[in-house]
Amino acid sequence: MTQTGDRHLDPAVDYPLSSRRPDLLHTPTGKHIEDLTLDAVVAGDLSPLDLRIAPDTLLMQAEIADGAGRWQLAENFRRAAEMTEIPDERVLAMYNALRPNASSGQELADLADELEREYSAGRTAALVREAADVYGRRNLLAAADD
Amino acid sequence: MTSTDRPAQNRHSTRTEIIEARPIQLDGFVEEWPEVGMIAMESPYDPEPSIRVEDGVIVEMDGRERSDFDFLDQFIADHAIDISAAEEAMALDAQEIAARIVDPRVPRQDILHLTRGLTPAKLLDVVESMNVVEIMMAMQKMRARRTPANQAHSTSARDNPVQVAADAAEAALRGFAELETTLGVVRYAPLVAIALQVGGQTGRGGVITQCALEEATELELGMRGITAYAETISVYGTESVFVDGDDTPWSKAFLASAYASRGIKMRFTSGTGAEVQMGNAEGKSMLYLEIRCIQVAKGAGVQGLQNGSISCIGVPGAVPSGIRAVAAENLVASMLDLECASGNDQSFSHSPMRRTARTMPQLLPGTDFVVSGYSGVPNADNMFAGSNWDPEDYDDWNTIQRDLKVDGGLRHVAEKEVLAVRGKAIRALQAVFAGLDLPPITDEEVDAGIYAHGSEELPERDVLEDLKAAKGVMDRGITGLDLVAALEKGGFRDVAENLLHVLRQRVSGDLLQTSAILDGDFSVRSAINDANDYAGPGTGYRPSGERWEEMKRLRHVLSASNPEQEVE
Repeated sequence: MTQTGDRHLDPAVDYPLSSRRPDLLHTPTGKHIEDLTLDAVVAGDLSPLDLRIAPDTLLMQAEIADGAGRWQLAENFRRAAEMTEIPDERVLAMYNALRPNASSGQELADLADELEREYSAGRTAALVREAADVYGRRNLLAAADD
Repeated sequence: MTSTDRPAQNRHSTRTEIIEARPIQLDGFVEEWPEVGMIAMESPYDPEPSIRVEDGVIVEMDGRERSDFDFLDQFIADHAIDISAAEEAMALDAQEIAARIVDPRVPRQDILHLTRGLTPAKLLDVVESMNVVEIMMAMQKMRARRTPANQAHSTSARDNPVQVAADAAEAALRGFAELETTLGVVRYAPLVAIALQVGGQTGRGGVITQCALEEATELELGMRGITAYAETISVYGTESVFVDGDDTPWSKAFLASAYASRGIKMRFTSGTGAEVQMGNAEGKSMLYLEIRCIQVAKGAGVQGLQNGSISCIGVPGAVPSGIRAVAAENLVASMLDLECASGNDQSFSHSPMRRTARTMPQLLPGTDFVVSGYSGVPNADNMFAGSNWDPEDYDDWNTIQRDLKVDGGLRHVAEKEVLAVRGKAIRALQAVFAGLDLPPITDEEVDAGIYAHGSEELPERDVLEDLKAAKGVMDRGITGLDLVAALEKGGFRDVAENLLHVLRQRVSGDLLQTSAILDGDFSVRSAINDANDYAGPGTGYRPSGERWEEMKRLRHVLSASNPEQEVE
């Protein structure tokens, strides 16, 4: 995967990427965005995975959001880039684990470790650890079941 | 009055009787009760603004020490407030900040540098110093997207996909940029969401659709590409009510990133009155609590917010200055650089005058989505419990746009075009249902659906078969791509292309940026490439050119050259 750090995307010049920089846009399956045609659908050449956003694209959108002064939105996109690798069902399960009184402190610690270990999702792991800390202080952890 | 003409007991004047019979008397009004939070704004119990930063961390906010922060305080302090901007912004007088916001000569960007450093209580003080006209002046400048837009509801009391497809197509044709549905029977969701998508793309390619459901299910439909965006991700202004909603700011922030990770546009939802309605406002005003919600949305990094009391509008609507508070909450969302889908989406008054007045603070200055949404179906079919605006009001809306030259996102469409697009939408859905082996849509349903106003005019469907098929859609892993293929196979190549264009957008992520919508030619228009540039008279968005010509058309307009004739 290419790094976006040296692209220096300018919101005023490069956005929307779909019309201004289609050269930069690929699916996680390696297809170019221009390959996503109706004829390809009809020929059965496209799978749902071909209509997913690539982590690299989310990092580019983060750069654009930062350039527009929206650092929280950019941070959201960077967490999202990490989460592209996590299967749908696991994403839903992780979300449910973060609901109040749904997980013990240990379970949230394990979730953060999994995010780091399995998905290199350091920013998302940090969000989970922060939640575990606050839930502990505000009495929103499930009792440990062991 | 002298003692001799004191009125007889139990005798009313004819005028009183006439006034008593007016629809406004059916509305509910209550006195303020600030101790329980039954107060819109200006409560004596809201905190005084304060901030103390030590070693780059906010250790005191609005009179509360960090050790006493509830989870909203902590999330706002650590994620929403820009500490580098806080000192300068908090030192300014609230009225001075308000004056700069209202002043068209102070650029929007300069205001954002201040507002990003403000605490909830300070933001409250700022908007409390404005009257409703100043709130509108401020909204005109602070709205994120230059061009206003509108959103419609397309639902059915019988969850009938045929009706949803037809009404979605008509709504898209009439100009709505977003379409939202929800269900009576939740298990119907996959079929109704498919109908909304197919109908929407038939009416106008590039409309984006959503299906309001419980968080996890809503995400699943989005992941599959059956819907294109999500909105009903609720946040609340007190910790106890947030927990009652089975979420926290951290779970919602995770959800926001989950949507973005699939390239799906998303906004949060909140609104004044939710906390007091759910029984725990902690003695704070509705607007103060809503400002906390807005800052949670900001801190989570979500691009936008649907607010403006939403389903709780009866609560602020019942107390003094409540509708002003609702206008103020929309403004605060825009002041924090969030997309604002500004409510007006639930019936709250029996008085047509009051319903109209309630929408003026959003329609006149323009918001990202003036109504969220406008009911594209009759009240009895609106599964969001009824909107403030109905299809019966289409011509009223169009006339108000024309009278005042304000753009509320809609246009008049001749009946023959409406009927044509309704018919095409139902036939496209008929083809998709056939292609995916779903319960058939009969030609009788097509015909009835074209001409129907509401669900009772449509033949009843076999609900059990539909529900079985709806479950099958989920079990079989049907995705947006299957809809594209079925549309093409069924002879609706143009609708298939439209849907594929919308699905392709998620690969680019362009719709994830603030206030993004898709134009008729599928180009993205957001707060980045269509940023609000209002700077006083003669600047900013004003209806002009083709759009203004379109807005001039109504159902019955006399020709200037031949007054005996109406203009087509």
